[in-house]
Amino acid sequence: MVKFPSNEWIRNFKDELNKNEKYKEAAKDWEGDFLFVISPDEELKNEVIFYVDLWHGECRGAYMINDEQKAAFILKGPYSNWKKVINKELDPLRGLIRGMFTVEGDSKLILDQVKAAQELVNTASKIPVDFEK
Amino acid sequence: MGKTIECYFWNPELYLEDKLDYKYQDIGDGIELKKPVLTTDVLDKIIIDLKQKRKEHLLNMGIANIINTIDRVTDQWMNPEYTRRKIAFEVLPKVTGFSVEMLETLGFGHMLRLLKKDNIPITGKLQHKNFTEFTEHGDGLVKAYGNAEVTHSNYEPEIIGHICAGNILGLAAIEMVIDKLVDAATWVKVPTEEPVFGALYAKSIEDIDPQLAYTIAVLPYESRDKHVQDYLFSKSDIVRATGGEQARISLTELAEKHKIPIAGHWHKFSFITIARDYLDDRASDIAELVSLDVTAWDQQGCFSPQEIFVETGGDVSPEEFAELLAEEMETTSIALPKGVNSGKMMVLDGYHQYFKKEMMGEPVRLFPSSTHQWLVIYDGNKPTFEPSPLFRVIKVKPVNNIMEIPPLIKPLGRFLQTVGVAIPNDRLIPFADAIGEIGATNIRTISNMTLQKTWEPWDGRFPLQELFELDNIRWVSINTKNIDEDIQKSLERKRMIINNNMKIPLV
Repeated sequence: MVKFPSNEWIRNFKDELNKNEKYKEAAKDWEGDFLFVISPDEELKNEVIFYVDLWHGECRGAYMINDEQKAAFILKGPYSNWKKVINKELDPLRGLIRGMFTVEGDSKLILDQVKAAQELVNTASKIPVDFEK
Repeated sequence: MGKTIECYFWNPELYLEDKLDYKYQDIGDGIELKKPVLTTDVLDKIIIDLKQKRKEHLLNMGIANIINTIDRVTDQWMNPEYTRRKIAFEVLPKVTGFSVEMLETLGFGHMLRLLKKDNIPITGKLQHKNFTEFTEHGDGLVKAYGNAEVTHSNYEPEIIGHICAGNILGLAAIEMVIDKLVDAATWVKVPTEEPVFGALYAKSIEDIDPQLAYTIAVLPYESRDKHVQDYLFSKSDIVRATGGEQARISLTELAEKHKIPIAGHWHKFSFITIARDYLDDRASDIAELVSLDVTAWDQQGCFSPQEIFVETGGDVSPEEFAELLAEEMETTSIALPKGVNSGKMMVLDGYHQYFKKEMMGEPVRLFPSSTHQWLVIYDGNKPTFEPSPLFRVIKVKPVNNIMEIPPLIKPLGRFLQTVGVAIPNDRLIPFADAIGEIGATNIRTISNMTLQKTWEPWDGRFPLQELFELDNIRWVSINTKNIDEDIQKSLERKRMIINNNMKIPLV
């Protein structure tokens, strides 16, 4: 079990994603890095930001950062909503429509890569996790 | 034997057709409209089925899949040879009173394009705290007014009802699509004046994805069918309605009775403001653009201008601007003529009312069309806001400074909607701040007043958000980040319409 959010979790995520053949195939045309911003809420005290570099079906890097960094896409939402996504209780696109997440970057490109996005969620959901209490 | 057009739609596997009586409306040229006499027994079956189809199909359908399906549906409509489009063009000019040219250019050329994949909104809600000043959103700017006070939230609406006013063509189609983005089944009351397009559009979804289409029911009942409306409200999570003052009162009461929220879009006033900065050698271009706003939809939309305030102190005076506008109205009216509903009496009424004033020595000048297609009135009296008789009757009024307009129209407050502007960038934000503060919600470059964009708020609320959350934030948008550039683009588009009668591409 690894703690979410943590450096250990994002390292696991990178390893698992690079083992995921379905992701490799679905994201073969994808070029673009992400910042996943986990905003504090009742269950999380401080903001956590993951930088994830995705390139043609491969995760070239994934780590926690302390400062703002530029990326093609920034997906931001409160901790409780990220938890729902990891538990597969919330489709991130449905979350975006309902304002539970915000995105900076061309959201229509994400729409075209919906299978890849699903595999990102599938991968995240497979990591045994300890959530913040 | 003539042609019969069905004005209703629901899952045909319910086999309800034989259980209903029908009314037939002869619209001429051997075409009749077929409308069911709805009973609560039949409606009950329809609502149960809508819920079932939502659960079985819609909730298991990815958002991207929904959007791709709608994109394919829209592509069908863009094809001039598409059978349902041909039916629409045969029927809509008769029932709406608009000319084929108007329907082709502003209806199919613009409204339907809003349902192309790239234009369907997938961001339903903005964080108002990030928009306390006009801030970039879409290809324009938005600002949030007020404090968030959520009065309703339901992130999983099961059934959404829509009551569509007759003055916005294609609204029923947009409504049924938007509901799918929040995973809701839909019933739509199509307008009595135009009961055709909603069912045609739903059938075109059925052609591509029948199960998705069966989460939609198109119900052409009359407002006086109280038992139908009462039943439908009792089964809905929220109702979005457009209509006039009478509709506002009766539908709000009904929503209260059933303790459901209503997202209402009621009677509105819109107007144009021209700053002196553009009244130089560009004045003719500005008049050309304004003529499209006045001509579009024969001023029947809530976003249509009813008055034009022109600032004094430019090279061209407000009175001279009125004359320029009259010249352009003639050209634009040839490209976008009136249909069978010409409102000739309204134009004549406007003429006689102001002709008397002119005769009495008031500072009034009339610039009429010889064919009564339109009328431009210059009214140099102290500026006040007066509703237009519509049907392309427009008043030009002088103001010493555009910043005098917000206090002048303040009494209209919540009735304000779209403000068409030709105001340079450096003066636009202070004007937008002031006009937004008193109630206007959509500021658009002239000639774009009727060309809404899907990222813009509608009467101060975002169309997707208000289906799952109502708060007290009022959003105000400016449709561009750079008005000079937008005026240039708009001129190119306007000339394409006039010279080639081409369909409008979204700017």
